[in-house]
Amino acid sequence: MGGASARKKKEKKKDFQKPKLKVGKAKPKAANSTDTSFKAKAIALKQQSLSANAPTVEAQCAHHLGLLNHKSDTQRRDSLAYLTTVISTHPPNVPLPQPSSVIIPTVQRLILDGSNAVRQQLLKLLQSLPKDDVVGHTDQLLLHTRAGMTHLSTDIRLFALDVLEWLLSVAGDDIVSCAGGWVKTLKCFLSLLGWKNDASSKWSSTKSFGKSSTADSKVQVKQMNALTAFLRAGLLPSQSTAGARGGADHFPLWQTEHHILSERSNIYAHLNLFGAARDEEAEMYEDREDRQRVFHDRAEASIVAGLEHVVKGGGEPGRAAAQLRRILKEGMLDYRT
Amino acid sequence: MKRKLGALEKVDADLTNLQYKVRRDPSSYYDDHQQQYVQYETQRDLLLQNPSTGDDTGIVRLGDLIDFLAHTADCFPKSNTQFPNDLIQILSQHHDELQPDLRDKIVADLVLLRNKDIIDSTVLLNTLFPILVSTSSKTLRALLFQKIISDLRSSNAKATNHRLNRTIQTVLFNLLTSDRETTKGLWAVKITRELWKRQIWTDAKAVDIMKEACLSDNEKVMSGGTRFFLGGDKEREEAAEEDSDSDEGIDMNKLRHQAGINKKTKKKGRELKKAAATVKRKERKKSAPHPLNFSALHLLHDPQGFAETLFTKHVQNSKSKISLESKLLVLQLVSRLIGLHRLTVISLYSYLLKHLTPRQNSVTTFLAILAQATHSLVPPDVLEPLIQKIANEFVSEASASEVAAAGLNAIREVCARQPLAMNDTLLQDLVMYRKSKDKGVQMAARGLLSLYREVGAELLKKRDRGKDASIALRAGDLSDRRYGLEATGEIEGIDLLEQWKEEERRKKREAAGLPADAGTDEEVEEEDEAADWKNWDVESDDSDSSTGWINVESDGEDIILSDSDDEKDDKDKKPAAKKAKLSSEAPSSTHESTPNPATEPKPLSKLLTTTILTPADLKRLRELQTTSAISSHLPSSRRGATNPSLAARHTDDPITASTIEAAALLGKKSTKEEKIAMAKGDRDTKHSSTTAIRKAKKEAEGKSTTNKEKARKKNFLMTLGKAKGKSKRSLGDVRKALRGHVERGKRGGRRGNIG
Repeated sequence: MGGASARKKKEKKKDFQKPKLKVGKAKPKAANSTDTSFKAKAIALKQQSLSANAPTVEAQCAHHLGLLNHKSDTQRRDSLAYLTTVISTHPPNVPLPQPSSVIIPTVQRLILDGSNAVRQQLLKLLQSLPKDDVVGHTDQLLLHTRAGMTHLSTDIRLFALDVLEWLLSVAGDDIVSCAGGWVKTLKCFLSLLGWKNDASSKWSSTKSFGKSSTADSKVQVKQMNALTAFLRAGLLPSQSTAGARGGADHFPLWQTEHHILSERSNIYAHLNLFGAARDEEAEMYEDREDRQRVFHDRAEASIVAGLEHVVKGGGEPGRAAAQLRRILKEGMLDYRT
Repeated sequence: MKRKLGALEKVDADLTNLQYKVRRDPSSYYDDHQQQYVQYETQRDLLLQNPSTGDDTGIVRLGDLIDFLAHTADCFPKSNTQFPNDLIQILSQHHDELQPDLRDKIVADLVLLRNKDIIDSTVLLNTLFPILVSTSSKTLRALLFQKIISDLRSSNAKATNHRLNRTIQTVLFNLLTSDRETTKGLWAVKITRELWKRQIWTDAKAVDIMKEACLSDNEKVMSGGTRFFLGGDKEREEAAEEDSDSDEGIDMNKLRHQAGINKKTKKKGRELKKAAATVKRKERKKSAPHPLNFSALHLLHDPQGFAETLFTKHVQNSKSKISLESKLLVLQLVSRLIGLHRLTVISLYSYLLKHLTPRQNSVTTFLAILAQATHSLVPPDVLEPLIQKIANEFVSEASASEVAAAGLNAIREVCARQPLAMNDTLLQDLVMYRKSKDKGVQMAARGLLSLYREVGAELLKKRDRGKDASIALRAGDLSDRRYGLEATGEIEGIDLLEQWKEEERRKKREAAGLPADAGTDEEVEEEDEAADWKNWDVESDDSDSSTGWINVESDGEDIILSDSDDEKDDKDKKPAAKKAKLSSEAPSSTHESTPNPATEPKPLSKLLTTTILTPADLKRLRELQTTSAISSHLPSSRRGATNPSLAARHTDDPITASTIEAAALLGKKSTKEEKIAMAKGDRDTKHSSTTAIRKAKKEAEGKSTTNKEKARKKNFLMTLGKAKGKSKRSLGDVRKALRGHVERGKRGGRRGNIG
């Protein structure tokens, strides 16, 4: 022990010495630390637009269409308002900045939107769309409308009736003749009005869940008005078909319109070549006679019974019911004879 | 993403509220229900237009609607019969595109509909199973697997649902047979194994499914099936044991006592009732007869064909590209089958011959496989080259001690099953290794020696034979073994039982004062019999005091200085074991009367032909056997205890590589750390006082200290300012202090001496 020199002792000690740490000073590096820092010559910034000019209307429309999924009500409403102004201020013969076939599928979801302001703005947008563009999308729109009509929320139910009225005014024929458009919508109305299909009528009518009694009659009037419009479109002979009947103008040619190419898109839809098999409800009823037959089979009795009940009640609902009855009689006149 | 709802909307769109009302009074809310149904239909149509969209259209989501309809479906059983079919269709056609949460909801609702008995199990399982097999989503697979298992369990809970089981088993079987290439069959394996483990499927059909899995071309499926046969039964046993272990825990008395003391609420009452029901159920379960479950290996049809196909398809086939690990699994299964059912697959042995070198990967497993595949019907000349090769490759002075020990051990295991495979020169050579320096080699060689003292002493050198074997050889008691020779049908150890019975009867007669040696008359026999039948049950057998204890006789007691005239009586009182060891003839006949037992056929035991053995008898027989086995080894008491029934062991338990390696471990010196760890076992290392334990427990439960404890711990200096003189105290404080004083006096001091 005594032989070891002081220097050797010191050297031995050095191996086990701890580096002193001080507050505020950088930690001393370990003997075996590796420098892992690196240098780069260029910096790549992603997603930075470098264009100097303002975005086009098309791009802005696309942007706003994307914003329709935004979680804020006001943002959705504002985007709809922007689209509405663009469309309504557009010159009639120039194509829209975004085609209707893009706008309608993205917009139609909002029929079921929770916010009232959004829905009202949506209706304005729909009304500003050119009529011919709507025709191709009726079945989709009708689906959403039906979903709205049976919605739990009363507001949405009322609003859906507005949309339906607009649809009937724009493309009444297509609405009643598209797949499921006639029977399903009728069924929907019946369940809304509480007019049952089965004959077993009860003495006391049960109050439905989630409906206040004061607003009830108002809603009923609106529903009956919508039904009137719907039946008018479906049961009365339409102007276009009436015009086609008078094919005698082109004298030597009869029924020319059946031999030339149709203007409508997807004219063989009724054959249902690619979709799932349809049942009676989802079937297309393109003919007025067909519609009358189905109406007679499935809905007429209950509507008549329901009407009687309402007419007796009188007041505003009574008046609407009378109107409905008139249309009903008119529409089914030639079926009975 | 779900939008935030306005307060009014919430009231309107409250499906939960409506659900509650519908369930309370279905007929009044029929219209509302129908309206929701129409809403559902339109939403469904919307979804089907584009199944991959999210269902957050507006306020009401399709998932909620489906939930609502599923929960209320049993209120209107006649309407909306289309609903379940709709769900099934959506799920089976669009499960890949649907949003995950909607998809999971549909699965859950289908199960709910099944639980409400609106659809039956077959429909549900036939829907879920194809999706399980085909979907690419891992979470969905996990969900479906769990639902399928739980549904099968619940439908088999009360009584076995044979029809459903058969249907599902057929589906699984078809899945495996129709598609042998892909991993789809793995699901069949998983489901079957799980149900086997839970003892829901215990029949041959389930085993058939696994058999089919073993013959799959896919390596994963194949090894899944093989693993099942190798470990499925053990898994099942363990699961059953765990089940019975978890029974403990409910102390009814304690609960009842607590219910008497604590506040009585409806909830507490319900809990007590529930606990009572659980205890009752468990009692019933415990007293129910143990289900007789056959192991999967025993339920196989045509094991010979199965073993041959397995071997040729996966091992011998040069085109099969499976890894060594899976190959070993297959070989283990094949050898297990061969050992258990005594099959003959000759080509296996020549295959093994190639692989028995020390450099082969996991060669101990190969050795174990060889040992397992050996039984008394394997021709010795097939085994001889194998043993020769093991001896040459493994057992030599030059090889490492572990290798030599493993080789010797393997040879011993093989020879225990087919002793004829050994020739005398090799054996005498190998036995010499008992003088080895290495302990492992030494023990392995000794094992071999003791084995051959029992089964083939004539192969050993004279000085190696030992006392018992030499005596037996000289007496000519050891009959020479021949290949294929089977013992005549009898119950092993029946002679011991017969002797014991005789002895008991004699004792009884002596007690009754009759001559002990009188010929058996019918009357007494019948009496005996009656007593036997009374003791039918093992538990009620109180006649012997030594139940569970083995009566070990020491060596010295054998020498009896017989000065009594009743020589024969004394002879009979000798331990049964001695006699059984020295003479192989029936114990009722005397030793001298039959000079050459080998030439004369052994007479069938009288006991066998005249009586039916009761469980108590069988238990006694087993006891006697053990006693005899132990005492036969006692003279040279330090001899390593060889298993008395080696051949019997192998039919039930598999041999693994560890069995072969065990000998080598003997010689190994363990390090100090290992020794310490072994000595410590799994005892608690740290000792701490009960207070400390209690405190730690309290802390672990997330409970804080009491105010008193906090006060006690508080820093003294901090309390100084608060300390008041007695005179400054408020009236309330004074009162408290006085009352405390009085109470302390009553209690007897601060800590108290009562309660």
